[in-house]
Amino acid sequence: MSIPKLEFPPFHLPPEAEAMRHEVRAFLKETLPKVKSEDRFASWNTFSPTFSRELGKKGWIGITWPKKYGGSEKSFLERYVVTEELLGNSAPAGAHWVADRQSGPLLLRFGNEEQRQAILPKITKGECYFSIGMSEPDSGSDLASVRTRAEPVPGGFRVNGTKVWTSGAHRNHYCIALVRTSGQHGDRHKGLSQLLVDLKTPNITIRPIINLAGRHDWNEVTFSDAFIPESCLIGNEGDGWLQVTSELAFERSGPERFMQNYYILRELVRVLGRQPAKRAAAILGRIIARLWTLRQMSVAVAGMMQGGKSPAIEASLVKDLGTIYQQDLPEIARVLAESDATTEEDMADFLDVAQYATMMAPSYTIQGGTTQVLRGIVARGLGLR
Amino acid sequence: MDKETRDMLLETADRFFAERAGKEVVNGVEKGIWPKDLWKEIEEMGLPLIAVPEDKGGAGGTLADMLAVMRLAGSHAVPVPLAETALANMLIAAADGVPATGPSTLALGDVVFEGNRLSGKVDRVPFAAVADRFVTVANAAGRPMVAVVSASNASINEVPSHAGEPYGTVTFDNPPCEFAEVSPVSAERAIELAALMRAMQMAGAADKVLATAVEYCKQRVQFGRPISTFQAIQQMLAELASFVAATIACAEAAARDADEGGLADGGRFSIAAAKSQASEFAQRIAAIAHQSMGAMGFTHEHILHHYTRRLWVWRRDFGSETFWGEKIGTAVAKAGPQALWPSLTASRYAS
Repeated sequence: MSIPKLEFPPFHLPPEAEAMRHEVRAFLKETLPKVKSEDRFASWNTFSPTFSRELGKKGWIGITWPKKYGGSEKSFLERYVVTEELLGNSAPAGAHWVADRQSGPLLLRFGNEEQRQAILPKITKGECYFSIGMSEPDSGSDLASVRTRAEPVPGGFRVNGTKVWTSGAHRNHYCIALVRTSGQHGDRHKGLSQLLVDLKTPNITIRPIINLAGRHDWNEVTFSDAFIPESCLIGNEGDGWLQVTSELAFERSGPERFMQNYYILRELVRVLGRQPAKRAAAILGRIIARLWTLRQMSVAVAGMMQGGKSPAIEASLVKDLGTIYQQDLPEIARVLAESDATTEEDMADFLDVAQYATMMAPSYTIQGGTTQVLRGIVARGLGLR
Repeated sequence: MDKETRDMLLETADRFFAERAGKEVVNGVEKGIWPKDLWKEIEEMGLPLIAVPEDKGGAGGTLADMLAVMRLAGSHAVPVPLAETALANMLIAAADGVPATGPSTLALGDVVFEGNRLSGKVDRVPFAAVADRFVTVANAAGRPMVAVVSASNASINEVPSHAGEPYGTVTFDNPPCEFAEVSPVSAERAIELAALMRAMQMAGAADKVLATAVEYCKQRVQFGRPISTFQAIQQMLAELASFVAATIACAEAAARDADEGGLADGGRFSIAAAKSQASEFAQRIAAIAHQSMGAMGFTHEHILHHYTRRLWVWRRDFGSETFWGEKIGTAVAKAGPQALWPSLTASRYAS
């Protein structure tokens, strides 16, 4: 048998990370009641500059980055704890989320010194927010087919094209856009680059795309002869694909893949009361066991990464299982609450929450790579393709 | 034992199981043929005594060492009560006894110990029909006792499991115990440890199911090409891998927690969660593997059923997902919604 062995060596987050958890909890307990958020439950979709700035003051954004860029030079595992505590306590961490998770690390790795100095300290203060400019109307899962073109002109690029599903572009400061800087559309991975785009740049139009729940998170970002200075090219011209793929692999297995709607579980425990019927307790316990397992898997992958390994298949499997779990949760919770909520009032209230979660659930298995694309990656890892 | 010693033992045992516990042996057990030689060799390797201290004749391994061997045994569908005997021996040694040789099994359930005698009836005792003795932890006037009854002193009604192993109902009608001592492991804890042992066997079996299905699909040619090249099959097997991964991860995490937390009560939540999770996904694992292998995998001729049938049986052994889920759900509800997240993130390093 020649298939790779799937392993999730149990891992303990180290004492310094657990000490951090203690601090984060104390901070959240004090801060969360004071922070007004748009809604109670969306967590990393909830935009709250006030909260992000408070978190920045604690040094908990860009926590692993060098001190000279405003970071705290803590470990990846301490970052893990901060992330899961934000999610476990439904903190409104949406404003700085992408900057902290993806854009900052990208600039740190591939950006030039000028870009790092200009941007990273602002991110760590919780004052600078980013959008992801990858998808286009004709480029979703097949990212190498992007058409947005950045034509070299004296001093920079003239950009034309359209990005979609650009979360937060209407209130964020920057977007990192994947564009074609050379070659033809059919060249696929070759000739793509990433640009650091100030969203206030003239000739960029931002229009809302409302999602099915009526929320305005997404935007359509149109470039019509927008001029982007040469200094905003990230890394070398033509390295866009390399940058994007390393970014996509980054933290596929993080807690945001199974903790996004944790509030449903917490609310479910509340409405079932302290002494649920045996059948209800069993269903509740089973779903908690799934969440516990996901966390063990995610922590195990974090441990492997800390140990210098790159457990790509394992990380993909965590995302697959985690997002499916998040889709199952609202449905299991809804049915259980209907039969076993302790009061009619609790039930009605909870069903509203669960209904909202159900509406959001389709997004979990689409964002950041669909289940099907993900399983294609796993299949390759299994030697099937 | 240190990592190197354990790895060496696992490697040797892996080769040994592959050679000596093959398809014919597993099928033989289903027909009622006890693999005497296999058991003898397993004893010669010292596997049933792996977690018994050296001064009691064992290998001096830990609970984690024993569980690692059980995962391996699960991946070979070893059709003898190795897991049951190894845990029984560990329980006896923990109560300061010296384990005897021969296959034993665990009769955990509603049994009463009084005046060195045992009474009660336990259903679905694994390998009841072939074990030399039954080992249980019974409550005796508030104190847990490890009690051992010779098979000749119990009444056994064989009801083979759906995996063809000689399970059965065992009735104790006040026979004397050949060993009985106060146990550091409670009756409830003994069931937890047995559940953990099964979860590890399930992890092994799940792993084998994935490898079997992947290998088959790479070789099976239809429409002029290996079926593994069809996207539909690739997607199925990737999903299968996710359930297998969860089964491995939950069992290993619980094994770690139980080992670190100590025999008497380490990793209680983790064990409950692991057995619930492993049992819950067993059906998905079996279903996808069978679907990917078509009629071939549904034959008795193929080995796939050695593993899928065991998964279906093992998910019920020592508590199903309903049993363990109820324990978790009841405890979580009692503690209330705000206590859930802290309990999920509990750590030995928590301040």
